Amino acid sequence: MNNIIIHPSSENSVLITWPEKICPNQHQQILKTLSLLNTELNNVSDPVVFESIASYNSIMIYYYFNKISFQQLKKRISDCIELVINTNKAVQEKSLTIEIPVYYGEEAGWDLSNVAKQCQLSLKEIITLHSQQVYRSYALGFTPGFCYLGTLNEQLVLPRKATPRLQVPKGAVAIAEQQTAVYPNSSPGGWHIIGQTPVDLYQQNKEAFTPLIQVGQQVKFTEIDKATYLELAGKPPFTEEKH
Amino acid sequence: MPSLTISRLKGNATFQDLGRNTAQHLGFSGSGAADEYSYLLANMLIGNTLTKDKSLNNMPSSTALEITLGQCSLVANASCQLVITGADCQAQVSLKNGEQFVVKNNQVFTLSQGDELHLGLPKTQLHSYLAIKGGFYAKKWLNSVSQTGNEQSLGFTEASLKAGSELSFQPHETTCSESLLTKSLLNDNFHQLEQLTLRFLPSQLWHLLNTDVTQQFLAQDYVITPVSNRMGYRLTGDALKLDNVATTLSKPINYGTIQLPHDGQPIVLMKERQTIGGYPTLGTVIQTDLFRLSQKRPGEKVRFMPATLSQAQAQLHAFHLKFQQSK
Repeated sequence: MNNIIIHPSSENSVLITWPEKICPNQHQQILKTLSLLNTELNNVSDPVVFESIASYNSIMIYYYFNKISFQQLKKRISDCIELVINTNKAVQEKSLTIEIPVYYGEEAGWDLSNVAKQCQLSLKEIITLHSQQVYRSYALGFTPGFCYLGTLNEQLVLPRKATPRLQVPKGAVAIAEQQTAVYPNSSPGGWHIIGQTPVDLYQQNKEAFTPLIQVGQQVKFTEIDKATYLELAGKPPFTEEKH
Repeated sequence: MPSLTISRLKGNATFQDLGRNTAQHLGFSGSGAADEYSYLLANMLIGNTLTKDKSLNNMPSSTALEITLGQCSLVANASCQLVITGADCQAQVSLKNGEQFVVKNNQVFTLSQGDELHLGLPKTQLHSYLAIKGGFYAKKWLNSVSQTGNEQSLGFTEASLKAGSELSFQPHETTCSESLLTKSLLNDNFHQLEQLTLRFLPSQLWHLLNTDVTQQFLAQDYVITPVSNRMGYRLTGDALKLDNVATTLSKPINYGTIQLPHDGQPIVLMKERQTIGGYPTLGTVIQTDLFRLSQKRPGEKVRFMPATLSQAQAQLHAFHLKFQQSK
């Protein structure tokens, strides 16, 4: 508990931070705390909290500051953290592993050859290293449905591109530092594109937005060939416009 | 449904309300009116509901048009009552019979079918708010109509506004136009022309920095750069060097978070911020000062000053009270 900091982040928000590390066990504890905080503080009868966001080693809580003081909230947060620590008997998380099909062809993986050069690996080795790992979803953010997945095999770890692309295509599977992710929509981005997936990263209807991957879930990438990509996507992968 | 048609738009115009702050965990920007003061003032002057109210069948009764740098004209397809607040665009109305009259900011006025409203380029400030009695009708997504630049391509909210766009509204009476607004609200000088001091709540990191770094940050004037927008204000000054700051893991960020990228030039995050960020953060600017900052232009200078949580909450509470009481 001593290494967990509860700090006022704005008039109506609190940032709770755990030690700076990407760690499945710590993240599991964070998500349990988040779930307990929501039960305790965002209940239907008298909610004092209206939004909470989790990331690798932190939770941001938004509260009604006219209903509860920071000190009172801090006490209730501490109690929740304490409770999670004391009941944390390393329960195995039961979650399905979400499989995401990826076409790793060079026309889809715009940066594959560059990544190969920088990491001194063959294309085949990159694909194997990326698709053999089971990843954990640590955070959802940046753009709607964008999930930060970790941890990438250290042989693939590269800094972000020096100049971000103005347009990364929808479905791009990319890597940066210790992370990998899929771009849910076309957007600017500085990660290295190594393939493309034909699956949608979220479902939407009139009232709701449901991301394919929830924070805390496990994800695995499966290699598919071009014919399968075409069949699933109904169109060829996006190719890069050369300037 | 009656409507106004945008006949000319050189700047930027969006539908705004108080944003979708409960959808940040899905990755949606909080968004919302850049200058809440002028937005709320406009709605109050026209007599609209200020908070979203489910009992109104989710009719977004307080949707206003946020117009950035004016240069916008609208034609009324039915009679309606309107008010303009925020940046003064020297608005004029051309009547169907060719006559013209000047519209002052913060004054309710009426358009008849065929009348055209012209907003010029404001001399100071950035955002003007056009509110209509009953609010504009705009598609709601996750409890808000607010349009976010980066999310427009997703198609969840109304399409981007341009010349030719029709802005629908509820039919309403235009006879009684006497404003009930108290004088205190119009005379309170919320926005001031002089240099703005941004009060901020220091972050955890701030308390670990060397005093020469914090002193340098507090002592200098920062200039607002031209790449500032609804997403963030990028400032420039003598670069700040942080020693011994390990790269940090991405964390949820706030409206007002002061980020310090590696170039040492701070960025203050505004309404259209992303939800998570990885740069070191120095603190969070208090909301009432962010509403003021949103109207400042590139080239203008700002300074920073630390504040306490109780000061910040008291400021925001007083701000809310101002609108609740005068109702």
